[in-house]
Amino acid sequence: MDSRILSCFPQRIKEALLHLPLPLLEQIEEIRIRINQPIEVVLGSHSYFLSEDGRLKKEPDRFIVTPADGEKILNLISRHSLYALEEELKRGYITISGGHRVGLAGKVVRVDSRVELIKHIRFFNFRVARPLPDIGKPLLPFLMSHNEPLNTLIISPPRCGKTTLLRDLIRLLSTGMKDDFSGFRVGVVDERSELAGCLDGVPQYDLGPRTDVLDACPKAEGLMMLIRSMSPQVVACDEIGGKRDAEAILAALHAGVKVIVTAHGSSLEDIRCRPDLKPLFESSVFERYVVLSRRKGAGTVEQVMDAHHHPVQLRAGRRKNYA
Amino acid sequence: MLKLFGLSLLIFASTAIGFYLAHRLRERCHQLGELLRILQVLETEIYYGSTPLSEAFHRLGEQGEGVVARLFARCAYYLDHTDGWTTYACWRQAIVDMEPYLALKQSDKAWLDHFGKVIGGSDRLDQHKHIRLLATHLTQAEKEAQQELHKQEKMYKTLGILGGLLIVILLI
Repeated sequence: MDSRILSCFPQRIKEALLHLPLPLLEQIEEIRIRINQPIEVVLGSHSYFLSEDGRLKKEPDRFIVTPADGEKILNLISRHSLYALEEELKRGYITISGGHRVGLAGKVVRVDSRVELIKHIRFFNFRVARPLPDIGKPLLPFLMSHNEPLNTLIISPPRCGKTTLLRDLIRLLSTGMKDDFSGFRVGVVDERSELAGCLDGVPQYDLGPRTDVLDACPKAEGLMMLIRSMSPQVVACDEIGGKRDAEAILAALHAGVKVIVTAHGSSLEDIRCRPDLKPLFESSVFERYVVLSRRKGAGTVEQVMDAHHHPVQLRAGRRKNYA
Repeated sequence: MLKLFGLSLLIFASTAIGFYLAHRLRERCHQLGELLRILQVLETEIYYGSTPLSEAFHRLGEQGEGVVARLFARCAYYLDHTDGWTTYACWRQAIVDMEPYLALKQSDKAWLDHFGKVIGGSDRLDQHKHIRLLATHLTQAEKEAQQELHKQEKMYKTLGILGGLLIVILLI
């Protein structure tokens, strides 16, 4: 397990975790900490409780997280600076070094019926990030034409790997393929700090050597800022939805920049029905649509369609069987 | 002969005590001023820069050369290197380490202690208020320290010499 996650735990929890056999430790997907409750460890679809001597049990163990432990964890993940996490406390999660996520819950403070921050943080969910290099590789030939990227919309329900896919596509485009194309300058607007997992502005995921990231910036403004300031050839952002997002994407296209974005939905029809995104379809800006599902596990590619919503066939001589 | 040596040692010691007390006064003024300057930088770091505490403290420690800067550097070290100590615990430990060098009064130290309890533990606006409040108190304390220095520095020094002489006279 990444030592950067381990360093977020107080000594006794760290030791208990390190007592686990190495293969198990590597498989951990989530570590859930709740004050006055045992520690839950999630592997795949199973959940266990951690005992003090480092074993996983089905029943709740007597190894309980104390409030002092919670305080320590909070100190370690916030680096003693709650004030530096204002945005994060509003969103309910913190990105730590290594791109791992810590989800938070506790008492919410509201100002004018908006969530201002979470205080008295009592629940932590450490989600271990695992990069899946090259999951975008089989798909890439479908999204390029004459070695130029095509404007692409990735459509997927939550937890189907759209962010992971987009991240890998960014990395591949930015790195370039030895025989096919040299890399592109990619601009990423990462509103929810999910794509790049930035820590102090430095991406914790590999996004390739030609990628610039605008972290925690609203998409609509960020896209224009990037285009003005960083002259990208491709811009990418996650989870478009609002009217202003659509406008910004249109503006980007008029600036001659290629666009790769994702949206929540389970089919193309879902997205077409969303009134805010209508302008995008009226001028049929996207040249490729990719639909994802969980049918064969996260990241299953259901369909790739062209601008006229027909399934895409690869030209002869290129790789087939991408799904 | 031995008597003479003892007496001169007495005068020397009491003079030294006088000078030391005067030096403490001057040093307190100095340290309060340094603390105020550092707080100002810290305020900027926290309020406008949202810099994490340990990083901000490191920077403060590097920028200054005085005792207070060392105090912050010490605290930054504990923030980085201890297993989940609370911020307050790190701050306390740093103060304990620097205790011999701090020429501050009990009231000043109480404020420093309070600072350790609130720093880092709330949102930016709140931090800003805490630092402002502390700065107000320290400014007041510095003013008092200046006046005290003005009035009492010379007094301590002369009192030291004269006191020594008095004891010598009484002994003879």
